[in-house]
Amino acid sequence: MRMREILFLLPFLAPAQGLDPKALRLFQPPADTWPTYNGDYSGRRYSTLAQIDASNVRSLSLAWTYRIAGIGPQRGVGNPVIKSTPLLVNGILYFTIPNHVFAVDARKGRLLWQYDWQDQGGHLVGQRGVGMYGNWLYFLGPDGWFISLDAPTGKERWRKKVADEKLQYFTTMAPIVVKNHVIVGVGGDAMDVRGYLEARDPETGDLQWRWWSEPEKPGDPGADTWPNKAAMDHGGGMTWMPGTYDPDLNLLYWGTGNANPVYAGQSRKGANLWTASIVALNPDTGKLAWWFQASPHDTHDWDNVETPVLLDSVIDGRPRKLLAQAARCGYFFVLDRTNGKNLLSKGFVGVNWSKGLDAKGQPIPDPAKEPKVDGSLINIPAGGGTNWPPPSYSPDTGLFYVNAARGYSIAYLTDTDEQPEGYGGRGGGLITEAVLEALDVRTGNIAWSHAYPSGAFGTSFAGILTTAGKLLFTGDPSQNLIAFDPASGAILWHYRLAQNVSNGPSAYMLDGRQYLIVGAGDTLYAFARPGAE
Amino acid sequence: MRVLKEGWIAGALRKTLSLNIRWNPADLKSKPGRYSLKRTMKTLCAVSAVLLATILPAQEPPAGGRGGRGGPALREFLGLGPPPDAEAAERGARLYSPNCGFCHGEKANGASGPDLVRSPLVLHDEKGELIVPLLREGRPDKGMPAFAAMTPAQLSDIVQFLHMRVELTANRGTYKTLNIVTGDAKKGEQFFNGAGGCVGCHSPAGDLARIATRYPPDQLQNRFLWPGGGRGAPRKVKVSLSSGETVSGAITRIDDFTIELNDASGAHRSFDRGDGVKVEVEDRLTAHRALLDKYSDADIHNLTAYLVTLK
Repeated sequence: MRMREILFLLPFLAPAQGLDPKALRLFQPPADTWPTYNGDYSGRRYSTLAQIDASNVRSLSLAWTYRIAGIGPQRGVGNPVIKSTPLLVNGILYFTIPNHVFAVDARKGRLLWQYDWQDQGGHLVGQRGVGMYGNWLYFLGPDGWFISLDAPTGKERWRKKVADEKLQYFTTMAPIVVKNHVIVGVGGDAMDVRGYLEARDPETGDLQWRWWSEPEKPGDPGADTWPNKAAMDHGGGMTWMPGTYDPDLNLLYWGTGNANPVYAGQSRKGANLWTASIVALNPDTGKLAWWFQASPHDTHDWDNVETPVLLDSVIDGRPRKLLAQAARCGYFFVLDRTNGKNLLSKGFVGVNWSKGLDAKGQPIPDPAKEPKVDGSLINIPAGGGTNWPPPSYSPDTGLFYVNAARGYSIAYLTDTDEQPEGYGGRGGGLITEAVLEALDVRTGNIAWSHAYPSGAFGTSFAGILTTAGKLLFTGDPSQNLIAFDPASGAILWHYRLAQNVSNGPSAYMLDGRQYLIVGAGDTLYAFARPGAE
Repeated sequence: MRVLKEGWIAGALRKTLSLNIRWNPADLKSKPGRYSLKRTMKTLCAVSAVLLATILPAQEPPAGGRGGRGGPALREFLGLGPPPDAEAAERGARLYSPNCGFCHGEKANGASGPDLVRSPLVLHDEKGELIVPLLREGRPDKGMPAFAAMTPAQLSDIVQFLHMRVELTANRGTYKTLNIVTGDAKKGEQFFNGAGGCVGCHSPAGDLARIATRYPPDQLQNRFLWPGGGRGAPRKVKVSLSSGETVSGAITRIDDFTIELNDASGAHRSFDRGDGVKVEVEDRLTAHRALLDKYSDADIHNLTAYLVTLK
């Protein structure tokens, strides 16, 4: 059946024998394929695999490891850290760190090829992985280079410049393939540049469209949320994390980063659309369908790039197409993804920066809690209520899981100029407490939470995977990979790694055996049940 | 040296020199050369890694610390190129101010003339190769005078001044906290002795005597808000084992599964947190943690104003 399906599709594959486009689905990736950053387009990070389940998880053991060798400390960030989620296609895992792509045999952990990029700048803060179309891989060098590789060999096909690192743009995203578009976003906070999202041609890398995070000119929709054109042209709103996609609605959902200058808002009075927002775009044209702003006039560096997770649920007896996000600003949002209408906005950590909600369900920023010269105490840690590590939603429990950070920071304004530039201030970290939270998508209530006794996460922290085996996998701040019961929060199993889990765990099935795969620092670990077939 | 000549048209210059962020990717060369920063990077990587805990980039969560420290390490991280020469930049500032400041602003962030700090030309310049020719020739058609009479050294100093302005803007590791002593010391003292409950553990004549001579105000403020740093202060623990034995000491590691400590003799002890093992953590910062939930910003600023009087 499967063979016939592939043969039937052969003429339509470009090129043949690579990733079957049918593997890219809204929900439920094929068992033997993890074809895109989040596994499927929804961003739920819920695996339908159930060979490893709550009854046998204690027998889970290490199948293989792959440790990155010969690279050494990377500029400004230290030893390599795997933040990417590997793609799995035809038994090969493709994963990245800044400047490097690795192809590894998914059964044995053996390196097949390695691609090395030599950056000319940009930030090596992270690399989230590759995108794939047929036999072609897409990778971003940190310095704004969009690079295509031949998947069987790792040979470079071409490279295209998509961002200017000299202006302090940088590129860390895993490209997302939607139909015949490769979607690429950018990062960069230091010099007040303007965010954008691009679609590129999978075959040539040529630009198909570019959507800017700010209106183009005064008079355009959204321009009334900025004082002038200069503020818009330097307004920020970076697009550095992969978004999600609903093929039925043909809408791409993307989070945008904080406004710029980051902490100094005096030269950009107004809500500053479409920074710190969730936007819905047409993937064929880049046209904006709707938006919801999570942190209007952001002055706290709260990039709103956390995964906009797509889920279907029944609310008040009606089946609904929803979008849920646990945002860096501390709010949990649930929206109708057909039109952006808000169903729920509720703090999952402290939200003292906000005075409440407006008619659209968007938080209203409290001017008294903007960064001040002498400091404003914020009841969210400086890195936000959560950050980029991917959350998960399990349709079995109806709960949304997020690795949250509770605590305090103090926000200082350091640039009081009428025309501040750059960060213009800082969010001084005070206390950070790491806690896994399970949020009810109907109420926003915390169904259960687990605070880790060791306190804060360090320079990296873990994403989350839920499975049909009634398991939740994630990492704690103390090098443990842990399996929780997603319904109760009870710990069912753990394994002490050499470093903290640093990516989003994923799962796949090969030769009748389910693997759990997780990156921790410079090492990829594969777990399976001994002898399971 | 020439001063600005007539016919200066700032608006016209803005179009060429200033920020056209909507750049065309095709304008950029398609082959990267050797990365010029590379040679300096390797030696600094180790330092960078150590300092990272306090200067984490915006994408990442903080690993505790105070933020805003570690300028050189952050510069490497940002890929900002060779660091500006501070002495040359200072000389350059004295040249910049009378010659350029009127139009481009004293801080080079723009006035009637364009912003030079966020200028793509300045940001693409490494050591004057783009800026110096422009200064020499000016942009007469746009109204910018030529500074042909300046010596190469003077032009170079202006270049260094501009790069220093970029450094002080882009590199948040160089940011300085401004004057944070804005509160009312009297009210701060009342808070210390009253609602804050600080006097229960601390004394201005005892442990806090001359505290303001040991820390600048911003550090003092951060330290009383949370003395332990992001990960919390060293904590003590009492572990009661199922055998009835109890072991006390300073925690060296704790998670959901194990507790590790150094006991009174300094010996390292490690226990599984299984059934029958009771772990009691003594946290001396409980009162500080509780205050975080209570402070108004005014309480904080008043307390700081009071503590800076303890000299």
